[in-house]
Amino acid sequence: MTTERKWSVGILTMIAGLLLLPILATLIYSFATNWVKTILPASWTLKWYGQLVTNSDFLTATINSLIVGAAAVVVAMVIFLPVIFYINVFDERLKAKVRYLMVMPYAVPGIVLVTGLVQIYGNLPIPKLIFLILIITALSFPAFYQSLDNVFMSRDFRGMFEQARMLGERPVSAFVHVILPNIKTGVFVAMLLTFTTGFSEYVITNIFLNGDYETFKIYMYRLMKANGNANSVLTVCYFGLLILVAIILMKLSGKDVKAGK
Amino acid sequence: MKTKTKIFSPFLILMGVTILLPMVTMLLTSFHLDGDGQFTFANYTTIFTQAYYRQAIFNSLGISIVAALIGLIIAVLGAWAITRLSAKAQAAALTLFNIATSFAGIPLAFSLIILFGNDGVLNAVMAGLGSAVHSPSIYSLGALILAYVFFEVPLGILFLYPPFREISRDWQEASLMLGANRRFYLIHIVLPIVLPNLIETLIILFANAMGTYETMYALTGNNIATIPIIIGSLMNGSLNANIPLASALSTVFVLSIVVLVTIGNWLTKRKRTLQTVAVATKRPARNRHRLLDGYPVLMRGMKSK
Repeated sequence: MTTERKWSVGILTMIAGLLLLPILATLIYSFATNWVKTILPASWTLKWYGQLVTNSDFLTATINSLIVGAAAVVVAMVIFLPVIFYINVFDERLKAKVRYLMVMPYAVPGIVLVTGLVQIYGNLPIPKLIFLILIITALSFPAFYQSLDNVFMSRDFRGMFEQARMLGERPVSAFVHVILPNIKTGVFVAMLLTFTTGFSEYVITNIFLNGDYETFKIYMYRLMKANGNANSVLTVCYFGLLILVAIILMKLSGKDVKAGK
Repeated sequence: MKTKTKIFSPFLILMGVTILLPMVTMLLTSFHLDGDGQFTFANYTTIFTQAYYRQAIFNSLGISIVAALIGLIIAVLGAWAITRLSAKAQAAALTLFNIATSFAGIPLAFSLIILFGNDGVLNAVMAGLGSAVHSPSIYSLGALILAYVFFEVPLGILFLYPPFREISRDWQEASLMLGANRRFYLIHIVLPIVLPNLIETLIILFANAMGTYETMYALTGNNIATIPIIIGSLMNGSLNANIPLASALSTVFVLSIVVLVTIGNWLTKRKRTLQTVAVATKRPARNRHRLLDGYPVLMRGMKSK
């Protein structure tokens, strides 16, 4: 190994180690009966896991978050996918403009947006959950867009689409049968990231819905104040979900490289 | 064109309803007092004259600048290190850092408390080792900045990796052959090329830290006043709820980020013009889009900060 290689591996190990340290501590903590003055916990237990899994609040919060995440994916697929296809394949100039939406999450973070949301939609007779899903979908646009940014470069999608149209396919059917199968990896990544955004949302859900709709993160905050041991299990579950997403993405990115070459 | 309208109407309606309309409402509300329809600048006067709000702006700026700078330095090292790995390892590392940007907010705050808190793991391990050293308080300002660094570093790496990857190894060999040493190469060749990306990344990291609510709220509640924390407490429906004031603070926030991004774009545009003259190297096409350049392929949308 060259010195340069050694340095780079060393630096990355340190950064990854720093990031992983709290996760590791939480993981071990979740199996500890108590951990006060020892290098490792004095005794181990699955008690906290049992306690959490049998708690109905845990199930409710997980289902609530799943609903938000899944609904955001559906709305994003219906509304974003045609737009992204169109600007990538038919209108490059418009694409340059849409890119400016990418700074949106930084210029308008959730805590800022929620001040206006509460004002307009706070007292409408329509269920706020519907607005929440739409808002989360809108906020996941950058992630959705970026996942599909490169997939349209590999083939002549314009030609494919137009040929399918000439053969008598209707636009939607041409898109679903001819285009979609060729971009399915990118679409899946986009869906996955939108789902994670929806599943993990906290600020807007909490303030806009006034805590009435308990999602995974809101439950986590409540449990954090009440029972550290149980919450360590919940946090481990959340990390588990993130790691699962990471593994899927890694498998897919390998596939992309092969398909692209 | 009919198809175009069909495709774009739902998109524009969605963005209008969820982003544009709330922002217009926020702006309009900021010019009224709570429960009063009269036009007034009173909310803005309050923000800029009362010590409590000035302190919050100062806190936000201070924490964000320090967190962004530390994040940038570590991210530069990390992004450089990734470019030295094999192609497969590069892809894996990027995916990990991409997911690590989600490691923020309540789970991060909680696991930091588990690690560094008074009854935390670090103190337990220290006591187990017979050491009298205590972990620093997780509620101190330094520890808060550490918490920010946890999500700033992965974000910075995702922004810096694409431009760093474009730095060709041939340039180094060429400059070394022409008698330049390593330091000359870094300062006179690499730095001018990546400087616009460094500025952009610093701005993004700063803006990201400025908007951080969830991590801060989970760690300190409403104890340390920052702009997002005050907005949150004004929105909470508690006794001191004041939506117009929160709207005014939010407007100040959005405007300052927009100004910052514009200045950043202007700065990096100038730098790039100069640099095109100075370095007769083919610039990668993707660098034309300025602030959005390094935008990572798998960038997360709204992170729960």
